[in-house]
Amino acid sequence: MEGASYARMPRVKIRELKDDYMKFELRDTDASVANALRRVMISEVPTIAIDLVEIEVNSSVLNDEFIAHRLGLIPLTSERAMAMRFSRDCDACDGDGQCEYCSVEFHLRVKCMTDQTLDVTSKDLYSSDHTVVPVDFSGGDPSSVESADGRGIIIVKLRRGQELRLRAIARKGIGKDHAKWSPAATVTFMYEPEIHINEDLMESLSLEEKKEWIDSSPTRVFDIDPVTQQVSVVDAEAYSYDDEVIKKAEAMGKPGLVEITAKQDSFIFTVESTGAVKASQLLLNAIEIVKQKLDAVRLSEDTVEADDQFGELGAHMRGG
Amino acid sequence: MNAPDRYERFVVPEGTKKVSYERDTKIINAASFTIEREDHTIGNILRMQLHKDPNVLFAGYKLPHPLQYKIIIRIHTTSQSSPMQAYNQSINDLDKELDTLKSGFEAELLKFSKDY
Ligand SMILES: [Zn+2]
Repeated sequence: MEGASYARMPRVKIRELKDDYMKFELRDTDASVANALRRVMISEVPTIAIDLVEIEVNSSVLNDEFIAHRLGLIPLTSERAMAMRFSRDCDACDGDGQCEYCSVEFHLRVKCMTDQTLDVTSKDLYSSDHTVVPVDFSGGDPSSVESADGRGIIIVKLRRGQELRLRAIARKGIGKDHAKWSPAATVTFMYEPEIHINEDLMESLSLEEKKEWIDSSPTRVFDIDPVTQQVSVVDAEAYSYDDEVIKKAEAMGKPGLVEITAKQDSFIFTVESTGAVKASQLLLNAIEIVKQKLDAVRLSEDTVEADDQFGELGAHMRGG
Repeated sequence: MNAPDRYERFVVPEGTKKVSYERDTKIINAASFTIEREDHTIGNILRMQLHKDPNVLFAGYKLPHPLQYKIIIRIHTTSQSSPMQAYNQSINDLDKELDTLKSGFEAELLKFSKDY
């Protein structure tokens, strides 16, 4: 009873790739798939974040819960997260959420002994697992140790005599539970615009009018050739679907000067990661999660059987 | 104090079925699928995939209430198919599409890291 397949064959093209940033084109699919990927990257791809804090000593100016909250928001490298267990499903520790399969332990002990203010940063956190550590933003550049990126994320500042000592447990989670588990800083997509200039109508404009029309766009989409005075599209994707150039053309008495449509099957994605997972891995994980979700919504055997019986009963009653 | 646990949004409670199926009592080849703890992510991709099936006369989904963590997908098909068949087919097709996307992206990643 296998029906024909209506599966599409989407294409991808990477435009720009860095560890925490990626821009790519997605074609031959529809907005529902693009949006599912975007939503899953933001709120359902798992990462690891600090979830429980036991404070031993805190004589800093920030109260305990303030510090616990700040610790939770520190991105931790989470390549392990996809394979890790959620504490709530972990049978090795009976929901305690403190065993090696579902948690990572951190320790922090800092005391300021000088008159100089001491910064307590994410670099002061000592992890029990070398694969799960606070994200390093220096990019491995040793010269940046004194720069803002190389110093780590500041948790609190201590003056002479103040001390912070704590134990923290990091767990696997998803952005839907709490935003601290979201691996995405931003994920956006736009429809690829298709822009057609009506050349005949454009040539009926004077040089001044052309320049005025080009300037009516808040972003630099069109430009004019200084020699031939021809108006052309320089950056179609700079267009933000604001309709300004269309309104301007109408106001100038030239409706139809330009036609702009959104291609319904082509998307340009921008993915920025917090550093918990690489931007490229974030998309791969998102695809995997959508597949898992689809698998979870398959009909169970007993549902199908119950309906088969119902069907037979129905056929019987109809005199079949 | 009495706030529900945050995980209630995405963990199916024990003893609850993830997907339940209910035939329409008046129209043949029409049925509703109630999916627990899912939202627009799954609802919308299934609906759009079902629209590609020529035997599907109607496919729609709704999220009845933002605090009820379930979606309802309604499917009406021709006699050539059945809601269950169309539903299974749409899941298989989406799965196939995601496989294509995955291998396409992996190939592109490999190409990209070689080129730059
Ligand atoms: Zn455990």
